[in-house]
Amino acid sequence: MQIPAYSFLLLSGGMFTLGAVGFLVRRNPLVIFMCIELMLNAVNLAFAAMSRYLNSLDGVVFAFLVITVAAAEVVVGIAIIVQVYRAGRDMDVDELDLMKE
Amino acid sequence: MVVAFALLAAWELVTAAGVVAFRRPIYNALSLVANMLGLAILFLMLNAQFLFAAQIIVYAGAVMVLFVFIIALLNPGVDLTLQRGSTEWIYGIVMGVLFAALFGSLLYNRGLTGHTGAFTPDAIAATGNVQVIGAALYTKFLFPVEVTSILLLMAAVGAVYLAMRKAE
Repeated sequence: MQIPAYSFLLLSGGMFTLGAVGFLVRRNPLVIFMCIELMLNAVNLAFAAMSRYLNSLDGVVFAFLVITVAAAEVVVGIAIIVQVYRAGRDMDVDELDLMKE
Repeated sequence: MVVAFALLAAWELVTAAGVVAFRRPIYNALSLVANMLGLAILFLMLNAQFLFAAQIIVYAGAVMVLFVFIIALLNPGVDLTLQRGSTEWIYGIVMGVLFAALFGSLLYNRGLTGHTGAFTPDAIAATGNVQVIGAALYTKFLFPVEVTSILLLMAAVGAVYLAMRKAE
């Protein structure tokens, strides 16, 4: 292999960091969801890279399970967002504090 | 190979920054599509052809279509371009820099070790990538796969319930 595993892991860490920053600074729940997807993708990259460099299949299988869980999460999350929209509330995570009470 | 990786890495970071920074959600979504396609090519470079196909079909295909569809559905009625003030952006970026430093120092200090397995690229190529992963999924990882199937069923039921429920 010409490319060291470190470079894949650093790229994965960079993508995860960008996703985490987006999660913190954005207010729109849809964009926050996209940032979560970005973080999950970064983790998948790390899984695939370690799977390749350790000659093991476990990482690939776990990345596949992560993809499945992310799909399930998006389905329920978007259903909740649409429900919030139909209730006529602001699409702003700072305003959506009904569960606090 | 190295040049391709450098280009792809730059592409991934730029599109990831686009997901975070663009004002309009449709641009965020399209950046994320570009990011996921680049990631699929990275999976191909890592000899994970099965993940490449799953990434294209599930993420770039299903999940992102759902995102773009919902943005199109909500856009006329609701302001999706909410932004935070610059102070909050600065806090977020400081947190990001701290996190990146933590990650980098961890990687630098601990190094990479682990037990290598039997699945070298040649061994995988001998049986075929999808065959090898399928065998692993239904033998060693049977229980996680079954749990995931229950999770998907629960997600489908939950989504249908939420869609049918009348908003108060």
